[in-house]
Amino acid sequence: MKKDNLISVTEIQRFCMHDGPGVRTTVFLKGCPLRCAWCHNPETQSTAQQILYYPQKCIGCGACVAVCPRGAHRLTEDAHLFDRALCQGCRACVAACCSGALEPSRKEMTVEEILTVVEKDRAFYGALGGITLSGGEPMAQPENALALLRECRRRGIGTAMETCGYFDASYLEALVPLVDLFLWDFKDGNPARHREYTGVDPARIRQNLCRVDALGGVSVLRCIMVKGVNMQEDHYEAIASLWHSLQHCKHVELLPYHAYGGSKMIPLGMEDNGRREWIPSEEDMETAKNILIKKGIRLK
Amino acid sequence: MTFYAPNGRVRPVRLSESTRQFAWDSLNQKYGQDALKTMAISMDDLENYESMTKLERYDEAIYRIATQAPIRICPDEKLSGAATLGMAINHRVPATYGGKTVTYSISHLTIDFETVVKYGVNHIRAKAEAALQTHLGTEREPFARSCIHCLNCLDLWHQRYLDALSSMPGYEANYRNLQRVPHQPASNFYEAVQSIWFIFAFNRLCGNWPGVGRLDYLLGDYLEKDLRDGTVTLDEAREILAHFFIKGCEWITGNSNFQNGSGDAQHYQNILLCGIDENGKEVTNQVTYLALDVLEELGISDYPTSVRLNANTDPKLLRRLAEVMRYGGGILAVYGEDTVIDSLTKYGYSLTEARKFANDGCWEVQVPGKTFFAYIPFDSLRVLQEKTLKGYAPDRAFDSFEDLYAAYLVNVQEAVEAIYRDRTSKLLKPNFREHEWQWGEQKPCTVISLFEGGCIESGHSYVEGGPVYNVLSPHIGGLADAVNSLYVIKKLVFDEKKLSFAELMTVLTNNWEGNEPLRQYVIKTYPLYGNDNDEVDAIYARLLNDFSAFCRQLDGRCDYKFPAGVSTFGRQLEWAPFRMASPHGRRAHEVLAGNTSPTPGSDREGATAIIRSYCKADLVNLPTGAALDLKLLPSSVEGEDGLDALVALLQGFVALGGFFMQPDVVDASVLREAQEHPEDYQNLSVRVSGWNARFVTLCKEWQDMVIDQHEKG
Repeated sequence: MKKDNLISVTEIQRFCMHDGPGVRTTVFLKGCPLRCAWCHNPETQSTAQQILYYPQKCIGCGACVAVCPRGAHRLTEDAHLFDRALCQGCRACVAACCSGALEPSRKEMTVEEILTVVEKDRAFYGALGGITLSGGEPMAQPENALALLRECRRRGIGTAMETCGYFDASYLEALVPLVDLFLWDFKDGNPARHREYTGVDPARIRQNLCRVDALGGVSVLRCIMVKGVNMQEDHYEAIASLWHSLQHCKHVELLPYHAYGGSKMIPLGMEDNGRREWIPSEEDMETAKNILIKKGIRLK
Repeated sequence: MTFYAPNGRVRPVRLSESTRQFAWDSLNQKYGQDALKTMAISMDDLENYESMTKLERYDEAIYRIATQAPIRICPDEKLSGAATLGMAINHRVPATYGGKTVTYSISHLTIDFETVVKYGVNHIRAKAEAALQTHLGTEREPFARSCIHCLNCLDLWHQRYLDALSSMPGYEANYRNLQRVPHQPASNFYEAVQSIWFIFAFNRLCGNWPGVGRLDYLLGDYLEKDLRDGTVTLDEAREILAHFFIKGCEWITGNSNFQNGSGDAQHYQNILLCGIDENGKEVTNQVTYLALDVLEELGISDYPTSVRLNANTDPKLLRRLAEVMRYGGGILAVYGEDTVIDSLTKYGYSLTEARKFANDGCWEVQVPGKTFFAYIPFDSLRVLQEKTLKGYAPDRAFDSFEDLYAAYLVNVQEAVEAIYRDRTSKLLKPNFREHEWQWGEQKPCTVISLFEGGCIESGHSYVEGGPVYNVLSPHIGGLADAVNSLYVIKKLVFDEKKLSFAELMTVLTNNWEGNEPLRQYVIKTYPLYGNDNDEVDAIYARLLNDFSAFCRQLDGRCDYKFPAGVSTFGRQLEWAPFRMASPHGRRAHEVLAGNTSPTPGSDREGATAIIRSYCKADLVNLPTGAALDLKLLPSSVEGEDGLDALVALLQGFVALGGFFMQPDVVDASVLREAQEHPEDYQNLSVRVSGWNARFVTLCKEWQDMVIDQHEKG
């Protein structure tokens, strides 16, 4: 049974340089309301415990086969077969696996446990760095995210949050004063495409961001560039209109799609869904930047 | 002319075309190849060679070098003097008799350039003449006479340059400067640079490899005065300083002909920048920034340059350092000078002396210009495997981790004592005893002794107790792997009781054959040194404390200092064949950790965790130093965020009490590419350890080791 005061985390990564200013410790929270076709962290989407299986690490010792109560693992002459339909997530195989080929995707951690890790790099944070909540969508666990941020505030650790912006607006007033910088994803300004490629309507995301801004929250807009999908004039125009409506947005960052997230589907037992044709060339990125600069946007 | 930058960056252009051309030629071996044409001066015509004393032979060699070595004046060069004999590049006095080297030369020291620049060689001569009067009729007289002789030789060499330059159009400034320096005190920045260069070049001509020391400290006041008087501009000063760096590349030969293929660019000519002076005032000045400009533009790695940082270091300076570091090549390393100074004063140096610290040409700390220095390495992993665990004898058993650790400490102490006995027997005059110490006779080295405080006065050479401080530093190597071995034994055998001691011995004897699941379990389960795991880091800190205490126990028993340090430099390569499988999942003969760095591939938590682990030891107990090699991916330091991150790393390192760190920014894939197409990567440099090497001049084994460190690090 999951207790309220436990936070579902996939990973805590130290010495992150690109998740906000300075040196940051990024805490990836598990669970996301969106299902972006280009997701870079697919293991963070589901709130469920998923067993990650890394075939290249398996040495074929058979320990998982021996301990699995459901017969989900089988060894053949040349392969280790893992039938996820049978798996109930008991993690007996994870404990038995000697090589790290089987790992749980979810760890349950208390605020204190997370902060113990975060505190380790305090000497490196200086005036700029600190914690970054990422995911997944941190606000998919709203009370947990707030508790974590509140404790960081109390301890004087800088805070940033990467968010898709799709969460319950009633938390905003509590949230905004706790976050030094929102790294706000703005995926597509075309509502139909947004629904098609992420599964949700963008109106709420935009409303939330405007509310954050009205409450004085500082933000950076992060826009993924997916060639042939959202690298279109209507999206650029939407970015521009959003940028010009915000008071506290520092700049816009364009992030080129990469296919690496697709390969992270494999440990989840799914096909690599990376799409090479979606990767924008350097020229494509230059073009997009120039369009946005012409629209008066400050780019990083 | 594109000066190589590994990460696709484009270096800025500030220097004149002719200076850049000079750099290009030097980096591309023009002068190194030239030196190889005249390897040494022959002494074969000396009829009485066999009957001469070693010192007489040495004096004759120096005379012949000074009068016969080729004079080299490069196109448009702003500084004069060149070390033109090829054998000096191999760390020998470049004179032969019957085809054999007359004697080896001196390195691992930074000589006293301060006296040269401020007071001039005439001041040194006056000291030598006074000393000769004191030592007349004593057994010190031959050395005292040799000092005068070598100063005369310097004068002869100096006169040859004056003669050559006097009739050459375009070198009027060089001629004018040499009329004054190095004999008289420098009166301006240009003269000061020439003075240092000339003495540096003379020492190198005679085969020695001195370090340069604190260049901004030595030159800053001169530049400040000239700028104030309007007699030089910053741009002009940058050109002059650039020539100092470029001329230091005159030994680049493109082939690795020294020390088992460890590169053609390691002649221990280190430079230090920044940090406080003897009064506690920050030194950083215009010369600091000009030196950084030159390093940034030309990518010269031949003077491994270190910066002394402290808690008050200007963030603007840190940012400038980070900008230069990002070009890769390991060009800048950093000291946490508060820790270093604490360490030296705690050891017994006065605060004033401690604040002057420089290094020996790698990174071992010393008081420059007055310290004899040597370090003696030993492999602590091999001690554990061979002595404590008797080569994994099946009957080896311990009841507890504490028993094992205690037995290991006995063996570590024996290793330290063996070093002490061995060195003492080599340095002590025969038939004397420790407590009535007399320095024994060693190879002659008068030239370098002239520039080491204490030698002239005492009548003893650099290697015979002449300098004010004489330091022999035992260096523990294989540290991370010894620590990791102990930790894994503790966990596996004593805490978790996964298997018995005897069973583990068998597993290791069999080199993990047939025990892959256990090996994988060990690798997966135990966070080793470098992951900020308090449990293993505590063993690391404890071992270093115990080791340094053993050194201290022996210190003061005789006439040299015996401070502890940590290093392997590249010895992890030569030690590999002697090492058996390790409890932390490593197979026999693997190339393992270097210096105070983690075992390759074992650090999974990133750079901050490595620094945290390293800083958990009482680094102040290691007065000659403990180096941390830090490999960073170019992508991690991209953009403004990357600069912020690098600055934050440096600040964190200082705040946590780090001693010395060598960050290097390069991608392993670039190194692989260079291995396959060396012709395209002639000037790709990497930080090997205390020095930088041009990657393509490393032999295959060294290249592989460096690639491995970058891939796994």
